[in-house]
Amino acid sequence: MTPRIFALSILFSTGVLAQESLVSGPGSTLTENKCKICHELQHIRRQPLSRGEWADNLRNMKERGTPMDEAEMAVILDYLAVYYNREKPAPPPSPDTLAAGGDDPVQKLLNAHACVGCHAVDRKVVGPAFKEVAAKYSPDSINLLARKVREGGKGAWGEVPMPPNSGLSEADAKTLVGWILGQR
Amino acid sequence: MDDSRRRFLGTAAGVAAAAATGSVAAQQGATPPGILGNDDIKAEKVPAMDWHSERPLTGSVLAHEHDFDVTPNHRMYVRNNLLTPLIDMKDHRLTIKGLVDKELTFSVFDLPKMFPSVTIQGMLECAGSGRSNYLPKASGTPWNATGGMGCPKWGGVRLADVLKAAGLKSGAAHVAGQGGDPGMIATAAPVIRSIPMSKAMDDNTLIAWSMNGEPLPFVHGYPLRLVVPGWVGSASTKWLHTLTVLDAPFKGTYMDRSYVTPKYPVQPGQKMPADTLSTQAWPVKSMITFPKRDSRYKPGAAITVRGRAWVGEGLIDRVEVSTDEGKTWHNAELAQRGDKYAWRTFTYEFKPAHPGYVTFLARAWDDRGNAQPAVSAWNPLGYFWNGWHRVGVIVDA
Repeated sequence: MTPRIFALSILFSTGVLAQESLVSGPGSTLTENKCKICHELQHIRRQPLSRGEWADNLRNMKERGTPMDEAEMAVILDYLAVYYNREKPAPPPSPDTLAAGGDDPVQKLLNAHACVGCHAVDRKVVGPAFKEVAAKYSPDSINLLARKVREGGKGAWGEVPMPPNSGLSEADAKTLVGWILGQR
Repeated sequence: MDDSRRRFLGTAAGVAAAAATGSVAAQQGATPPGILGNDDIKAEKVPAMDWHSERPLTGSVLAHEHDFDVTPNHRMYVRNNLLTPLIDMKDHRLTIKGLVDKELTFSVFDLPKMFPSVTIQGMLECAGSGRSNYLPKASGTPWNATGGMGCPKWGGVRLADVLKAAGLKSGAAHVAGQGGDPGMIATAAPVIRSIPMSKAMDDNTLIAWSMNGEPLPFVHGYPLRLVVPGWVGSASTKWLHTLTVLDAPFKGTYMDRSYVTPKYPVQPGQKMPADTLSTQAWPVKSMITFPKRDSRYKPGAAITVRGRAWVGEGLIDRVEVSTDEGKTWHNAELAQRGDKYAWRTFTYEFKPAHPGYVTFLARAWDDRGNAQPAVSAWNPLGYFWNGWHRVGVIVDA
């Protein structure tokens, strides 16, 4: 019997996610979003590596299942090779000019809770595109969907579970869902 | 019936019930297997266990917490690549497929009925054990300088017996184990590693269901796991559900990109070269498990140094202790040889001639003439640290 993927709750409910971050710089948001799907960011912070080692590492993580395309891998590699390079000191922190949405409050929420590790606006990554969600649910589904985002679940889009996001406040969940339902 | 088998059969039903109800994840629905949370896993371990990372969960105790001839379950190191599944023993099946005459599927309860049950004591050690000794720092789980290993007694059946029952086709060269640990996301690659047939057919390579006479703890692979003693821990697939017989090493990220070392040494800090070797047996290694670092002794009191020595393939020939930073070495007493892949306890009596700081270094030799190096060869993923272990104590004036 191959056990099915069933519950991912514990990892997302430890509260570790929200506190962790990398040095801010071009690409830091994407790097955080992709890497913290599966592991703590201390695995990056604890040892700087050479560019070549980071490239090997990213290739390995891609093969292990990280949902990221070649263009995203290039951004992450450039970021890691500048800010976590064992051969040269890191520059001072700077704004992540590559982060989607800049200072937009919704984008900040999407980034902070790693939503965009698994979702994109107009294409399926691991979970459904936000546009597909908007097409499936009526605009008055905000309360229902906000609860699903916070508690997690599966079934609506197949057997792949959506992990709970207990660190997300109810108000923020509603803000996010309101924005998602506007993506039609 | 041997002891481990009796206890296994006696407790299996109870543990299966615990699997169905014992955690929050499982309470959400008894049928689909859930996941055991980190807090539940930690509750089964000694407070002395250091947790190196939460995601994935890794933990171990330091050398001075390893002062046991047989590692108790609650001191065994934890290293998951993915999550810890809660599997119901009643439903669990093991399938043997690939280059076999007939594909076979067993329930956990079939195995001790169909094949001889055996118990062996055997070493398991994470490939990255001791990684934090490497400078510059190597990529991976930040294992402590000591302790990412253990030597419990494993009960189960021989993998060889099960493979023989399935019948090996010509060209069968490797056996790949696959376990039921789910990843964080659906795209996560399964953790699959393979071992060569010579190791698979070794009498000490087991499909195990018990650890020190108890059913395997969930985090250590309940209800079935491979035990490939002496080799890197990742060879010993936990939550084992499929064995695939192959004509070559399994191709996958856990064989080709992780758990590899450079074929030829590289300059420290360099990336992995194109030519690599998949990690297999641990080189000869030892650690001092008593006294604890920075212990204090009264003047004139004798100090008994005690430790454990092991090697992935072969036998421990001798262990030496130095009290002068390696200028001179003295043979330690070795305990009676036990099971082939068990660590061996050594002791060395030392009577300090003066007060001050005394350091003990341990260096083991195997029966092939290999000794532990002072410092292991650097490699990009920080595997196979087996440098001399040093413990300093204070003799009061």
